Amino acid sequence: MISDGMAEVLRLLQLDDGFDATADVAARAAETLGVAGLTVSLATGGDRVELMWCTDEAAGRFEDLQFTLGEGPGPEAVRSGAMVLVPDLARVRPDRWPALSVEAAGLAARAVFCFPMGIGAIRVGVLTLVRRTAGSLADGQVGDALVLAHTLAGHALGSVLPGLDGAVPADSTDVLLHAVVHQATGMVSVQLDVPLTQALLRLRAHAYSSGRPLTDVSRDVVARRLRLDLNGNGNGTPLPVSDKD
Amino acid sequence: MAREQQLTKIFVEVADSLIDDFDLIDFLQRLSEHCVQLLDVAACGVLLADEHDVLQVLAASDENTRLLELFALQHDQGPCVECYRSGRPRTNIDLEDPKVTKAWPQFTPAALQSGFLSTNAIPLRLRGRVIGALGLFQTRDNALSDADTALAQALADVATIAILQQRTLAHSETERGQLQYALTSRIVLEQVKGILAERWQVTPDEAFAAFRVYARSHHHQLSHLARLIADGEFDTDQIPRSPQPR
Repeated sequence: MISDGMAEVLRLLQLDDGFDATADVAARAAETLGVAGLTVSLATGGDRVELMWCTDEAAGRFEDLQFTLGEGPGPEAVRSGAMVLVPDLARVRPDRWPALSVEAAGLAARAVFCFPMGIGAIRVGVLTLVRRTAGSLADGQVGDALVLAHTLAGHALGSVLPGLDGAVPADSTDVLLHAVVHQATGMVSVQLDVPLTQALLRLRAHAYSSGRPLTDVSRDVVARRLRLDLNGNGNGTPLPVSDKD
Repeated sequence: MAREQQLTKIFVEVADSLIDDFDLIDFLQRLSEHCVQLLDVAACGVLLADEHDVLQVLAASDENTRLLELFALQHDQGPCVECYRSGRPRTNIDLEDPKVTKAWPQFTPAALQSGFLSTNAIPLRLRGRVIGALGLFQTRDNALSDADTALAQALADVATIAILQQRTLAHSETERGQLQYALTSRIVLEQVKGILAERWQVTPDEAFAAFRVYARSHHHQLSHLARLIADGEFDTDQIPRSPQPR
């Protein structure tokens, strides 16, 4: 059950009015979650990330630090696909993140909560909440953060894919319940020799351009009735000509 | 084997698993297989609620895509959803009863088409909260007795304990982190079925069978090996494509 505050944040996210609006949404999200700041980083391969949201300096510096060092709750959340909650950084065993425990002492971040954005082995990024004082998140805030991370993952996966015509809208979460979508993602990644993220995007692009549900397209791929080519087309059917490359 | 003997065997296996490093998905699959034998049902599945309170399949007695999809259909309708929401078991539901068809218009015909005649749902309980459901299907007219239902609840409780007991890569501090790790592992497994199916030119179900035989015989945890394969860190040529019969 998400809070009314988070429901409003998600509504604003759907509107997607450009950069300034995004900063406002991020600030509202931090307020709703009861934290001093938050960051959203997108995974760009390996352990590298790109900062997409950053509401305050302390949060940004902590995020920079942990991904520069390659250790900490954020990298751990990205790798494992499960949230990592640290209500008091000062009480973490030093051998858990040795370099971070030394460096983080000088930062204003005291409590850090990391929520992975991803679908199975597809790592989209991580949502990190930072507090300047020690203390756990309330259960409702954890629930809110999980839903926000999931929604942000959907958004990031709906962004423009190079070589395809325009953006593909994010799917409803229901579609991703189906085992067959995940199986088809794995198959397409091998067929096209692309990472799982790209494979899912191409499946979705094909579903979108052919006006069919993702689950139907996925079933066809798994049954080997459909094979996507590198442009996301099925069985050589051309996409509408695009001016972009 | 008498039921008591079976139960003893299962509880020894459960205890052995829980004190050792065990793989959750593999454990729940075995538990589902045991449920089928002990409760004399045709199929069993373990479902866990995700962050949107939507039920996701973690494991099933028979790992075929058709059965997985039937459980997945219960994300917004069916006995498992009602059981999850109410926290109470729903047993001996006759799928041929028109009232049942009316209540669950997508789930009921799909279940009948798979040859099931009745179904049951038992809650996965965690300290006054419900985190998922155990779904049972029957192909014959053999109603669960009260004793069967009590046993089913005990097996559902074992599933809950296992979910919370898993040692995750994240050493996750929270129960919700454990639940999330379990759900992620399941999705990785499906993605890997697809990867292997395409590499070997077989169906995802066949790919999974070969994968599981290899993992079990080499003492790899299913979820861990699946993550390595998905990340391109394991040479899948090591896995024999046609599994030896178990």
